[in-house]
Formats: sequence, structure tokens, C-alpha cells
Amino acid sequence: MPYRLLRFGLSRKHPEPPMFRRHAALRGSYDAVIIGAGGHGLASAYYLARDHGMRNVAVLEKGYIGGGNTGRNTTIIRSNYLTPEGVKFYDESVRLWQDLSEDFDLNLFYSTRGHFTLAHTDAAMRTMRWRAEVNKHFGVRSEAVDADFVKRMIPMIDITCAHHAPIVGALYHAPGAIARHDAVAWGYGRGADRRGVEIHQQTEVTGIRTQGGKVAGVETSRGFIATPKVLCAVAGYTPRILDMVGLRTPIYIHPLQAMVSEPVKPWLDPIIVSGSLHVYVSQTARGELVMGASLDPYELHQARSTLDFVEGLSAHMLDMFPFLGEVKINRQWAGLADMTPDFAPIMGVTPLEGFYLDAGWGTWGFKATPVCGKTMSHTVATGRNHPLIEGFTIDRFSRYMLTGEKGAASVGH
Amino acid sequence: MMYRMESHPAEWIVRSAPLVFTFEGREVRGYEGDTISSALAGAGLPFLARSFKYHRPRSILSFANHDSNLLFQVDGVPNVRGDVVPLRAGMQVTAVNTFGGLAADKARILDRLARFLPVGFYYKAFHSRRHFPRWERLFRAITGLGVVSLDAPRQSTPKRYAFCDVLVIGAGRSGLAAALAASEAGAAVTLVDEGARPGGASAGSTGIQELVDAVQGAPRIQVLTGTEAAACYADLWVALVDNTRLTKMRARAVVLATGVIEQPAVFRNNDLPGVMLASAARSLVLRHRVAPGRRVVIVAANLEAYETCMILVAQGVSVAAIVDLRPERDADPQEPAVQDCASHGIELLRGSAPYAAVAGSDGVVAGLDVAPFDVVNGADAARVRRLECDAVLMSIGWAAAAQLLYHAGGRTRFDDGLQQFIPEEVPDGMFVAGRVNGVFEPQGRLADGRRAGLLAAAHAGFGSAAAVPAVVPRSGRRPSHAFPIVDHPQAKNFVDFDEDLQVRDLENAVQEGFDSSELLKRYSTVGMGPSQGKHSHLNALRVLARARRLGPGELGLTTARPMYHPVPIKLLAGRSFHVERRTPVDADHAAQGAVWMPAGNWRRPEYYARAGESREQSIAAEVAAVRSSLGLIDVGTLGKIEIYGPQAGLFLDRAYTGRFSDLRVGMTRYGLMVDESGVVVDDGVVARLAPEAYYFTTTTGGSATVFRELLRLNALWGLDCALVNVTGHRAGFNFAGPRSREVLQSLCDIDLGEAAFPYLGVREARVAGVPARLMRVGFVGELGYEIHVAAGSACAVWRALLAAGQPHGIRPFGVEAQRVLRLEKGHLIVGQDTDGLTDPLEANAAWAVSMKKPYFVGQRSLRILKARGPRQLLVGIEIDDPARIPRECHLVIQDGDIAGRVTSIVRSATLGKAIGLAMVVPALAATGTRLTIRGDGGEPIAAAVVPTPFYDPRGERQKAPGAA
Amino acid sequence: MKILVCPLNGPRPVSEFAYGGSVRASPDPGSCTDAEWSDYVFNRAGSPGIKREWWCHIASGYWFIVERDTLRDVVLATFPADAARKGFIPPVPAP
Repeated sequence: MPYRLLRFGLSRKHPEPPMFRRHAALRGSYDAVIIGAGGHGLASAYYLARDHGMRNVAVLEKGYIGGGNTGRNTTIIRSNYLTPEGVKFYDESVRLWQDLSEDFDLNLFYSTRGHFTLAHTDAAMRTMRWRAEVNKHFGVRSEAVDADFVKRMIPMIDITCAHHAPIVGALYHAPGAIARHDAVAWGYGRGADRRGVEIHQQTEVTGIRTQGGKVAGVETSRGFIATPKVLCAVAGYTPRILDMVGLRTPIYIHPLQAMVSEPVKPWLDPIIVSGSLHVYVSQTARGELVMGASLDPYELHQARSTLDFVEGLSAHMLDMFPFLGEVKINRQWAGLADMTPDFAPIMGVTPLEGFYLDAGWGTWGFKATPVCGKTMSHTVATGRNHPLIEGFTIDRFSRYMLTGEKGAASVGH
Repeated sequence: MMYRMESHPAEWIVRSAPLVFTFEGREVRGYEGDTISSALAGAGLPFLARSFKYHRPRSILSFANHDSNLLFQVDGVPNVRGDVVPLRAGMQVTAVNTFGGLAADKARILDRLARFLPVGFYYKAFHSRRHFPRWERLFRAITGLGVVSLDAPRQSTPKRYAFCDVLVIGAGRSGLAAALAASEAGAAVTLVDEGARPGGASAGSTGIQELVDAVQGAPRIQVLTGTEAAACYADLWVALVDNTRLTKMRARAVVLATGVIEQPAVFRNNDLPGVMLASAARSLVLRHRVAPGRRVVIVAANLEAYETCMILVAQGVSVAAIVDLRPERDADPQEPAVQDCASHGIELLRGSAPYAAVAGSDGVVAGLDVAPFDVVNGADAARVRRLECDAVLMSIGWAAAAQLLYHAGGRTRFDDGLQQFIPEEVPDGMFVAGRVNGVFEPQGRLADGRRAGLLAAAHAGFGSAAAVPAVVPRSGRRPSHAFPIVDHPQAKNFVDFDEDLQVRDLENAVQEGFDSSELLKRYSTVGMGPSQGKHSHLNALRVLARARRLGPGELGLTTARPMYHPVPIKLLAGRSFHVERRTPVDADHAAQGAVWMPAGNWRRPEYYARAGESREQSIAAEVAAVRSSLGLIDVGTLGKIEIYGPQAGLFLDRAYTGRFSDLRVGMTRYGLMVDESGVVVDDGVVARLAPEAYYFTTTTGGSATVFRELLRLNALWGLDCALVNVTGHRAGFNFAGPRSREVLQSLCDIDLGEAAFPYLGVREARVAGVPARLMRVGFVGELGYEIHVAAGSACAVWRALLAAGQPHGIRPFGVEAQRVLRLEKGHLIVGQDTDGLTDPLEANAAWAVSMKKPYFVGQRSLRILKARGPRQLLVGIEIDDPARIPRECHLVIQDGDIAGRVTSIVRSATLGKAIGLAMVVPALAATGTRLTIRGDGGEPIAAAVVPTPFYDPRGERQKAPGAA
Repeated sequence: MKILVCPLNGPRPVSEFAYGGSVRASPDPGSCTDAEWSDYVFNRAGSPGIKREWWCHIASGYWFIVERDTLRDVVLATFPADAARKGFIPPVPAP
């Protein structure tokens, strides 16, 4: 029984302190500065404070907490990736996710629903089997299943997809889950704030000062901060920050759109993804269908919405679920996806000493929030890449050692 | 309690056409012209819905689709907007989200538990890892509104494209004026309004009918009522939605005359049935002759309250009092409308606010407690007085309906005088007029509309902008109250009716640190319900501003995004066209029993089913026919490109890894394409027809992208050559088997002898009288000819080949047999045996790469990759026990680690073995290496690395077999 | 949807076009270092700004160069493809 709710009824004043403080001023220096108060930045701050004793940390956010991609994604959490590096990394994330609500004492609505990546061709099915085999090798629960299984578990789906792209099977990933995306930022933020980390909203980084090949400090809209360590965790804004330190990466920015329906009573339990139809959909605890599709086709640094996105996604939704015609689309929005050529992130140390990068999160960043925080905090605290992120170094491209995740990103390309 | 009044000539309902429907299982009567809500209200039902969170009884609030108090389940359709959806006979209507029906809703206990369920309560509990799944099931059951019918049929609704010079959105006073002005300037105008009739919120007011008549008589104005502008996208692309279709409108200029959205006053129990917006009462009375109650009290803060009061009185509604939040000096005491009200015996209270509405035993409002009020001190609870009433109308102000402006990237600023956000930055080609622009006086709205219409027309190229007055002054008086919010210690003063959020919920959220508009919205969910904050964002902002001690303008509103009103998926989906490409011989394949498979956006026969044969038997027979005698396959889905010009060979040298400028005329060569990073992207066969003419193929799936990229390279390099995509123009067949030469000779007009037409040659000839290109390629490892003809002649040639092959036991063969045959030769399939990172060195295709060329795409990267060394190598494998073979993508395991995977596998009848290809780590690539493959269920399967080709390793059968 | 003005076909909806990425000047693969080459192959100038890009009108197979503000999504100018000929262009070998 939720006895904790009693205190709300029994006290006259609302008995909840602020989750994050507003600080009047920036200090002149910090032991580390994190750029970006999204899930990744705040998670890194949290683990820095909790596990590495680094509390003299400032997180700088030019907008509001969680206002970037953390607040815009379609909240799918899974570890059914293709490469060993990816599987181990995301599996650790799923492990961390499962205890996160209790760790935070904040309900993240982390809901394990089961995740289907539908295959409509033999070629797609092959890739599903490949992913299943790699997953199983590392103890991650995934199976290549046939069309009968899909129909049994999702009885309302049109297995023929309007006779246009019949489903031949799927990759079924039982641990697939969704969560309340904003709450993750709040949970990490509160946890970091409580441990002494300063979160400064409406504070924009305008420059990064270096000296002798090392980071010396950060210029902001509210003054200069001296610091030896900077972690850049700004997703779609990464190239702009990297320009400040002259670092080049393969990252390219395209908008990624999403849309949500009105709330309806629950009918969809699992999370459904179709690579052929370029659709992903889940139903939130509020009853809304959250839906996404492929990346927008050209570079743009503006989170604008288009009509052809909702048209195409709506048509494909009806291919799978023909009865949904009367359900209404309430809202559409977009985020800026920082894409990489191998659909794997860019994490860890960089050629600039003291400058750490957490970027290249494309369409796969939200699920990695906890493991990113854990590995990046280790990296920032020790100055060395955490073992789990060794496949994601910034120099892998120059060595032609790309990580082959393109077959596992749900629909990005 | 609401009730139906007697007839009036201007009413919209048709008294002679009563309609019977059911609500919550009981029969109710209404009229044609009613909406669902107006019929229910007219029938005197005390309340019509339960609120989302606390399940409080609710009835009409805005009657304008601005709130979602009244969503119904109608004939299996969820979330039907009762306020605006026309009533039809026989409708079966129920409330949404009740447990046990509307009246006896078991969840109404949540209202009593409200103080234990404050803002964000669900974040503070229920999250033990063990118990959350159970709580979540409960949450899912009680959230969600309507019910989806899982067996509803798919509805396919056609869409429409429309074009106009000037699109005017909103047919109220200023919209009508704008449309007239633009059409007078010569523009083709489309005027849209979501209401059933033009006139907007001003319908029935002085002068509106004349404007409507003028618009309907004007030559170039198309009026679309019942049509919502749901969203405005880049380049003035507007989604217009009516109840039958989506119209995609491209306008040269847009006038936003979308008006304002009336806002509720916030006081305790402001959500009771019988408490509604004054504009709702006005529409109900004028259109549907439904009175809000028998003894009405109006909560006021503007002149419009008094004007509405007089309209209602004229219609026969009895108004007892007007409670004006403003002090007397600000309450327009000299205005005629105010004096009219006084002279009608209506009690006018000034500087007073509603402190709490009081419910009667039927749940409908029965009284309004009022108290002296000022903005600084709030309401004086010690001097509360009760006014008896059964309806409370709120007329305290508006919010701009500027959502479309935000969609298009415009910006607003807060005007303290107007207490409204007004346009500050308007995108090019868009013009804002009327109350949404802060102009409230009727004459001003006409002038503002005219101004915007002329500017829009000029932007679209009609008339001149020079003579148009730049700005029409905004309202001098204040139509909206700055803080129509009354605190109450027992709360239930609702700011958001969709989400059941009270003032203290928002204050508590601010206390918890969610103190910007965005954070407040996301934590409290204010404005996240189906009406997207149309009547809650502004009051929420005022509460936030008070808590932060800042002005609303400094904090700003959250962004509006499409859609303005939610749009059904079926209208957005439309008819959903699916493209499928078919070769010219498609019908013949079907007649031959083809079992189809998708290949890119084509369909191809996987195999041909024959009576008495299983799938495996048919495929085996097709393979056997090719190896022993003769087979025919349609390869017309391959990309086919011609390139002409003096530098055609040089172009191919640069675009492919191989060398083609030295290819002899009349010969072919395998072509492998890599990208700039050295990764294999496509392959095909290149034939040289003449010194300056080549013909080459691509994979089925790659043809469009490869062709496009070749065009780009040609544009970049500017070589003297030209490319033509003939994929759809030409059919292609492969006629393969030891008998192929002899049988083809009987149909062919050139000498097919070994000397005249050697292996890898290309010739032009006639086959069955049809001009054809013939190529001798490796393909399936038998003597064979690839025959390309014009698509129009494809069937004739196909049939001729089959007929000629009949005596030799020819079988048409499909993609699966082709796969088996090619795999027996160790040929790789791009995209199956290679992945997104495979380079030619890894793919056992270094022989196709001519590194000595001066330049080709990917060359430099290949040098780097060669130095780096392969990460994996493609090898041939043979499975020890053909009875237990792995599947594609089963992993090769070495010392507990992943060491590779099977990419292709087949049980080869020809060889009597199970063979395939695998990508393995270089350490395991040596011929003879033993491999362990992990099969289904984790079972180990033993295999060995063997050389390829498996079948006819020296290629003698395809090159020059012995005499047939 | 958004309109793109094709130099050949006039204003067309953007869905009729394929985007080919930014115009990037190649170093001379014959003489550059591995680092310079991999930088060209993989790295991008990812920040918003005014960029020259490859665009193709799909139905006509016509490639051209667009100068576009990638922050505001505003096209400033279009050019024929030879405007992309900067950096290394493979030389034509002597006959």
C-alpha cells in the first residue's frame, strides 16, 4: 500500500522540498563542468558525486532540465543490439534501469513490456537471428520468433500488413521496456543536487578555454568558470561545442520526429518496431500511443515538424493496426539527432586533455542514460575510458574500426 | 439545470426533425442540428461525464472543442467530441473512463481521496521494483479515456490537394473582412472555419450576417466550414481537416484570424455542472435554444459579459446577477450594455469574485458564494455571501488562439495592457488580424481584417501593399482580467479541467523546483491533455508568475505544436499507396505456379510450385534441371544502366574497383562497387558493346541508389559520358544448363559456337526474332546465357525459350534455386554475405579490385584497410553432418567467444553435402580449420573451412563444357 | 510540404528530391596522409551554418548544388553541379 501518500493528506503544507535548487551565482571554479543537463549529463553528475566523491561539479544547461532529447524521445529501453560492444553496454544499462526508481525514490514508471522488432523479409529475419544469437551469447534474453508467435502475442496485429509487407517473424526481446523520460532527468538531477552538484539552468556555454593542450575553463553567459575537466553531453548541439575546442567528428545532425495520440484504454502491451514500415509504437501508462519513424532525410538544426511525417507514420500504423483509424493524433514534435556513420556513440577521452565527450547518440540515446552516467563518470573521474566504452572511442574512425550497429538501430536510417 | 427553450426563428435546430439516441443505455431525444452535448443538455441531464483524475461530475464548459470535459464513446468510436459532433439518429453514446457507468462510477471515490493524490503523487509512491507491475496495471486501467474497438475496419479516406492565393483562417468578423479585401484585390481566396457556419464567435452579432452574405456572394472566395486548420507547416502548407478528409492546402499568403479562446475563472468548484463559459451559453442559447439554467449568475471582468447578458436576456434567459471582478471604476459603468443590465433589474456586484460554487443534491451548481475581491488581497472570505443560481457563466477574458502562428515559427510577446500574448514575429507571407492580434473593437476588427487581407493579397501578387494602413490600433480597454484566480483553502479551484489540476497543484509543483513553464507543464501535466492547454496554459502561467514574482511575459508560454485539435489517424493515413514493381513476365510466372517473395520493391518467384511436389522438392528439381539440362530464370529486376561517350570507360574505372577501360569490345567483366570508405555496396556485370558504349547491371535492391550516385559522380567529374537507366525498359532472363547453347542456337541468328561467342562474351543478336543482348557469365556455374530484351518483347522471348527447352526438361527456376546454385559456386550476395562494414579484402573479392588504377572511389581507403588488416574473412564451410545444419547467422564460437557467423548455408543435393559461407576471425580462416557453430538451442555443430567454389572449382562447366 | 526550387524543374515539394550531403573538398588521395584521408571520409562540419549541398531531383536525375542555411532551413541559392568541383578532382589520364 502506498502509505507514503498519507503524508500529503495529513499535512497542511505540501511536504515536498525542491528537487533542484536555483543557484544565485556561478562560482569561479569547479572540479568538473558538465555541459548539458539532460539525462546523460545529470546521470554523469549523479554518479560522479555518488561513486567518485566528486561533488564540486557544475552542470550547465542553456534551457531547462531535460529540455533536449531527454524530453523528446519515444522512451524505449532495450539491449537487443548487434555488436558485442553494444550488447554488453546496453545490457548494463538495462540492469541499472531496473533499480533506478528505488535508487531515486522516484517512480520512473519503468515498465517492462516486451519488445518486438518485426521482420518482413527473409533478409530482415536473418539480421534478427544474428541479433538474437549475439544477445543470447551475452545472456541477454532475445529470441528470433516466427509469425505465429507474433500473432499469438499481438493478436490484434494485421500479420499481412495490408498484404503489402507480410510479417515473417521478429526479434522478441522480453526485457524491452518504456519509462517516463522526463522523470529520469529529475531523478538524476535531484540525486546530484542533493549530493552537492550545482545545476545551473538558463546558462549557456559560449566558449571553452584551453592552455597548453589542456582544458582551462568554460566561458558562459553568466561568466567564466575555471575547471580542468569538461564533459560535453549536449546531443544535437555537439558540433557547436566541439567547434569551441576544434575537435572534428563524423557527427551529423538531422531532425527526428515523433507523435502521440490521445489517451485510450490499454490495448497494446508490448513495444512494436518495424524496420520495413519505419514505425515504432508503444502505449504509455496514461494510455497514449507514442509513435516514431525514420530520421528526417536532410541536415537541419531545427526541431520542426512536417506533415508528411505524420501522414506516412499514420499510414504505416494502419497497415499494422487497421482498426486505429478513429484514434486521434494529439501532438507531434521533433528533436535533433546526433548521428554517426556506424550508429554507435562517441564516448570518452578526446585528444584535448580534460575534455570528455558523450555524443553521437542518434536515435539510441535514452536507453543508455544510466550506463552512460556510470561509464562517463568513471572516465571523467579517472581520466581513462571505462572498459564498457572502449568500442566507442572518438579515434575509431581514423583507425577504420567502426562498430557495426547499423543493423540494430530500430529505424534510424 | 439546463433546459430546452421554445422555438426561435434563428435557431439552428430543426424542430420538425427530432432524433432519438441512447446515452448510457437510456433513450434521449434531440433534434437535427443538435450536437451530442446540446441534445443531452437540452434533455436536462444533470451531468454528462466524469473528469479524468477525480471522476468529478462534469458538463459543458466551452462548447467549442476547447476543453475535453465531454468526450464520449459513440458507436464504438473513442473520444468523440460531444460539443461539436452533430447528433445522428440511433447513436449509442456512453461516457468514457467510468467504472460502472456515469451515474454510479465507482472511481468517484478518488475525489474524496484527492488530498492524498496531489500533483505528481504517482512519482512519490508505487515504485517498489516488486510491486510496480501491479500498480501499473491499475494505472493503465484507470487512465486512458475512450476504448479502441479492435475489430473496427480499416477506413481509407482520400486526401485532397488545394491551392489558393490567400488562405484566411477564421470566418469571424476580421476573417470575413480579410477575405473580402483580398478577393477585391483580385486574389483567389479560401476562407476556412471550424464552425458549422461562418461568423465565428461573433455569429449573431451586428453586421456579421451582412459580411457573411457579401463573402458568399463574392466571386473568388471559397468558403469551407466545418473545416479546421489543424497545422501550419513550412512554406505555408496548411493541413485542413473536416470530418471526411485531409486537404493539403498550399497558400501564397495566409491570414490568421483565428480569434481568441475564452478562459475560465478559477475558483472553488468551478468545474461543477452548470458552470460554463459565457460564450458556451451564448452558442447553446442562440443555436440550440438550450438555456444554461433558470437563474443565471455571470462572473465578469469585461464589457462582453454585459453584452452577452443582454443577448441572453433577449433570448428569454433569466439572469439574476453579474459578479464583476473589477472595481467599479474599471467596470465600464457608462457603457450602454452595462446600464441595460442594471435597468433590467440584474444585480451588479463590483470588486467581487466567486469564492466557491456550491452543488445541489443532483450535482448541478445550486449557488455561488461571492466575496469582495481585489487582485492584491484576493477574496475576503469573511464576507462571503451566497447567490442562489443554477448556472454560472464566466466571461473574464481570453487567450489568443495563436497556435498556428507558433507552428509556423512565429513569436509572441505578452502585452500587459491587454493581458494577452500578441504577435511579435510573424513568418513571411503570414498576416494576423482581429482579436488574435489584440484588436477587440468591432470596427477595429473590420479594419484589421481588411489590412491583413490587402497585405496578404499583395504578398501573393495582387494589388499593392503601399496603400494599406500599417497598423490598426489595438484595444484601449482591457478585455481580459489579469488574475481571475481565487485562492481557497479547500482547493478544488481548477486550472486545468482535462487533468484535474488545482491552483495548489501548480504551486506545489513550483515549490518542488518545476518553476519554468516547460518544467511546470511536464511535472504537473498542465496542458498535456487532449485540449493541449487551450483554457489552462494562460491561468497556469499566471499562477507560476505569481509564485516566481515575475511577469507572465518574462516566463513565456510553452510552444504549441500541431495539431490544433487532434486529428484522426485515418485522415492522416489516407488511402496509403503501396508500390510494387513487376517484371513483364509476371503473369506467366503466376500461371506457372510462382510462389512470390519480395525483392526490394519488386516481387519475384521464390520457386514454382508443382502438383505433387513439396517446396523442397520443387526447388531441388529446379536446381537439378539447371545442372543436368536446362533452366530459365527471370532476372529482370536487376538494375540495368547504359553509359555512352569517349570517357565512359574512364568513368567506370573510377566508379568501380575493377578496370573497364581496357575491357575488349564484346566482353564482360564482374564489377564490384565500394563506397568512399572502402565498404562493398553493390556488384554487377559490365559489358562493353562498343568502344564508347557499355551496358552494366546492378543488384535489384541497389539500382535506384547506385544510378543516382553514378549521376552525381558524373556531375562532379564532368567526364564526357552520359548514363541512361534502362532498368524498367529491359527484361532479362538467364538461360542456363549444359543444353543451353544448343537450344538457344535454335532460336538465335548468330553463331553461338565457342570460338564465335566465348565465355564472358557479349553479343547482340535476335532471339526468337527479337533483338537481344546476350552475355555469357558465370552466374550459376553452368554454360549459360543472360538474355536482355526490350520489356515489350519479354513475354514472347520467355515463352519461346520455354517452348524450345521443353523437350530437354527445362524448368523455370526461382530465386531460391538461384541462391543454391550460386552458393554451390561460392558466389557472395552483397548485403547477405557482406554487412555494412565489409570491404572487398574481407569478402574474398580482392581479385575484383585493381589497385593500380590511378584513381577509383574507395581506393585510398582500401590501402588503409589493407594495412589495417581484415577484422573478418569470408570463407567456404562444409558441415560435418548434413542432417544437422546451422541456420544463417548462427554464430561460430571459439574459446567461448564469438568468432564469426554463418552467412549462407544450403544442403546441396548436387554435392551431397551441406555447404555455405561464413565470416570468421582471420585466425580461423585457413583451409582445413575446424569450426564450432552454435545452432538452435545452443547445440554445437561441427564444420570445417573448405575452399570455394565447392562445385566445379575450375569453372570448366561454365567456360567450355564438353560437347553437349 | 517544404518547397525546393529545382533549377531545371522549378518549385517542387522537397519529397521529390534526394539529399546528397554537404559538398566537401577531397584532399589528393595520392599525396595526403592517412589521417587527412580518414578525416575527409568520416568527419563532418556538423554545426549549423550556410552550407553547399548536393541535391538531386529524383525523377529527372538532375543533381545540383544548393546553398542552404541549415539552421533556419532557408535556401539562399542554387548552382549547377560544377560548383562542387573544389578540392581534389581525379585528373584525366593522358590518352
